Amino acid sequence: MSEKIFIAQGELTAMLERLSKEMDVWVPVEMGDEKWGIRFLPYHEDTIVVLDRQSTISPKNVVFPQVETLLRFRYQKDDNDPSKQRIDLKDRQDVSSALVFGARPCDVRGFHTFDQVFLNGRYKDPYYEQRREKTLFATLLCDTKDSACFCSSVGSGPGDREGSDLWIVPVDDGYVIQALNDKGRKLIPIMGKQATTEQIEKAQRIQEQVTAKRIGEYDLTRSARDFTDRFEDMDYWRDMVSKCISCGICTFVCPTCYCFNITDESRDLEGERIRSWDSCMFYHYTLEASGHNPRPEKFERYRNRVGHKFSYFPDTYSGMISCCGCGRCIRSCPVSIDIRRVVHHLKEAVDAEV
Amino acid sequence: MEDKTKTLQREFLKVFEKLEVVLGWEPGYDSLHATPSFIRQAKDLNKLVWNPLCSQNLCTYLVKTLNASVRKDDKKIGICVKGCDSRSLVALIQEKFITRETFYIVGIPCEGTVDWRRLMRIEPSLKDVQKVDIQGNELEVETAQKTYRFPLQQVLEQRCLHCRYPNPIIYDCLIGEPITPHIGDDQAYGDIEKIEQYSLPDRLKFWEKELDRCIRCYACRNACPLCVCRDSCIAETRTPKWLSQRCDLKEKFFYHMIHAIHLAGRCTECGECERVCPMEIPVTLIKKKLNQIVKDLLDYEAGIDPQKQPPLLTFDPGEKGI
Amino acid sequence: MVNSKEESTTKKDLLIVGFLCNWCSYGGADTAGVCRFNQPTDLRIIRIPCTGRMDPLFVVKALIYGADGVLVSGCHPKDCHYNEGNFYARRRLEVLKQFLPFMGIHTDRFRYSWVSSSEGRLWQQVVTEFSETIHGLGPNPGVHGESDAKAGMSFYT
Ligand code: SF4
Ligand code: SF4
Ligand code: SF4
Ligand code: SF4
Ligand code: SF4
Repeated sequence: MSEKIFIAQGELTAMLERLSKEMDVWVPVEMGDEKWGIRFLPYHEDTIVVLDRQSTISPKNVVFPQVETLLRFRYQKDDNDPSKQRIDLKDRQDVSSALVFGARPCDVRGFHTFDQVFLNGRYKDPYYEQRREKTLFATLLCDTKDSACFCSSVGSGPGDREGSDLWIVPVDDGYVIQALNDKGRKLIPIMGKQATTEQIEKAQRIQEQVTAKRIGEYDLTRSARDFTDRFEDMDYWRDMVSKCISCGICTFVCPTCYCFNITDESRDLEGERIRSWDSCMFYHYTLEASGHNPRPEKFERYRNRVGHKFSYFPDTYSGMISCCGCGRCIRSCPVSIDIRRVVHHLKEAVDAEV
Repeated sequence: MEDKTKTLQREFLKVFEKLEVVLGWEPGYDSLHATPSFIRQAKDLNKLVWNPLCSQNLCTYLVKTLNASVRKDDKKIGICVKGCDSRSLVALIQEKFITRETFYIVGIPCEGTVDWRRLMRIEPSLKDVQKVDIQGNELEVETAQKTYRFPLQQVLEQRCLHCRYPNPIIYDCLIGEPITPHIGDDQAYGDIEKIEQYSLPDRLKFWEKELDRCIRCYACRNACPLCVCRDSCIAETRTPKWLSQRCDLKEKFFYHMIHAIHLAGRCTECGECERVCPMEIPVTLIKKKLNQIVKDLLDYEAGIDPQKQPPLLTFDPGEKGI
Repeated sequence: MVNSKEESTTKKDLLIVGFLCNWCSYGGADTAGVCRFNQPTDLRIIRIPCTGRMDPLFVVKALIYGADGVLVSGCHPKDCHYNEGNFYARRRLEVLKQFLPFMGIHTDRFRYSWVSSSEGRLWQQVVTEFSETIHGLGPNPGVHGESDAKAGMSFYT
């Protein structure tokens, strides 16, 4: 039987304090005084953890930092032959282990997408692999859906435990926490005391209630064909998304968007090769050296975003959709573009809606 | 009194034959959001709405999406503007990106738009909203269960709290009566003065702390109606290379200086850059400070007089005081 | 910005970037050199065709990425080689100068001046004064607050 512990609300900080001695603990905190948004930051004393709403930006940066140094280089004069230069290369250092505390099921599911691309193909990405292995997820059962959430529409749900190492269920004035695998089990002794049978039963009931909920009215899991059929229907795309301003917010906040750029950034004789987040919503993303751009228009870029998530990705990775239904792109979009609607209407004409 | 939404639809219907497209707002993904709407058929005009959720500045689309300077036939572009939006429109005319004749402008005197995030902070459980309206000094939110009232000070966008131009500067048709601004000219820069009370090192710390959150998504730039460089913004071009792909504080800080300096004497204080920021960084303040300097030094405000030339794009040989 | 390290660094060179227009101030600096007028050694000169070419962002970039001071100098107004370059510059640079403190950068770290190619003396005076000002301010604290997202981490390498 796996151990289940109970942490009272008031003991949460002390527990995080203990955990943060063992590893980097990333927790959801507010953007600032009187701000609504949430982001994940490493825990330190004075951190106020906010668990009552989803983070604005997903915790993907813990495993896939916005900027990652792949290597450092430095040119040096060859003392024996001044006409020559040597390059000293320094590999990246090891990363430390981390725990993401208070992520949501959708956040964790996002990493399934990443895994397909960075781990399960012919080549493994060592940078991603190392962080992924060293990062644990203590995931919060999600009972705070809002009008942008649609995790059940893409085959997940608010009680989805897949991919998590520890599972947190809010009960009364605290949390019942349970390990879901050996990695998680190791942390249990540091975390707290055994929960009472009553608490465990209550947690069980909540788990069942929440799991039974369906978040999101559409079923978007089989849209791959509809997308390809609709691909050339320019009117559809113009109608749906000509209001997109191509700002890239949707891709940056998204837990499943993994596109990156690799650049050498140097000054004088030294520099770094870095990998940084890129966005298919940017003009420069597809700009070719010749000056030609296959996706010059904003709506074409948005079309790619939909296609990638709901068609190309499932085609490549046995049906898996690379959208976890977290709704972040909807919530943060400055012009309120609703990806659910765009995907749902691939099947029938928009006019049918009214 | 007729509902403004109805008036809006009716006014556009009257002239629709002469219009190629109408830029307005329609209900968004939930009852607390509106979304921009491009109406191309008369039958769709009934989608249009006007309410305090219509926050987007539609002038953003004129140069970057519609290329409004190029018209196929004589047809005009219909557009809805709030007070602040109309300044952006005027500024684009001043800078010769568009011409006045191209537009059929429906102006809407505006009491302010709702900052969705601020509203959530006060009442996170709001849902099934049926009506959002401003009554006097309060925002009235009607849900299926009850009617909520919030003081405007607590729920409006920052830009609206300091708005001096709630009434459209130019229009062909005005919906509703002009209103008096919430604040006088003397308080317009109150938000800036708050920061200027800090010591110099504390100001630096303030900006370091705020700008540190920036993820360089560039939404603030893309939403800005006056960022007219389309896809050649120097924040992204590799030649010349002003910025690297690094995301440390220096790069973020410098990116915001780029945006600000390029908007000096051009920014119309529509506050879009701040509204759209997912990380809630008060970036409009930076541009507002520049505006204040330009106003004091060169006696100019962007987007007020279509005939005037932006002062940093011209000069005066006999200049005094510099 | 008062810097506590100021005393110990007064003697050491600080880094001042000078953007001088090709036709006047660059010549003025040259004249000062030819006449062997004593000048402080903190200045690194970049020649620009005209102060009209002076993007205010050059100044900002220098100050963010490590310069302790920036000096821009060109022809006197009405003497511009291209007639009007410095008229544009005057407005832009003044706006910038007033703006820097809002972001927490001391306004005295930036100065613009007008020096013609015959004014070697004036050039000496401008450079000396400006260097003294910068030494008075001490090294530029720059923009490098500890990032929240990095705090206490070995995670970002
Ligand atoms: S967030 Fe919205 S406007 Fe921005 S790129 Fe995405 S869909 Fe377009
Ligand atoms: S596409 Fe939108 S809803 Fe889907 S995972 Fe990304 S941010 Fe979430
Ligand atoms: S919108 Fe916000 S996060 Fe994005 S680039 Fe602008 S300031 Fe940074
Ligand atoms: S800089 Fe900001 S406030 Fe100014 S015009 Fe652009 S979006 Fe509006
Ligand atoms: S920041 Fe400057 S370069 Fe970039 S789009 Fe705006 S005005 Fe153009």
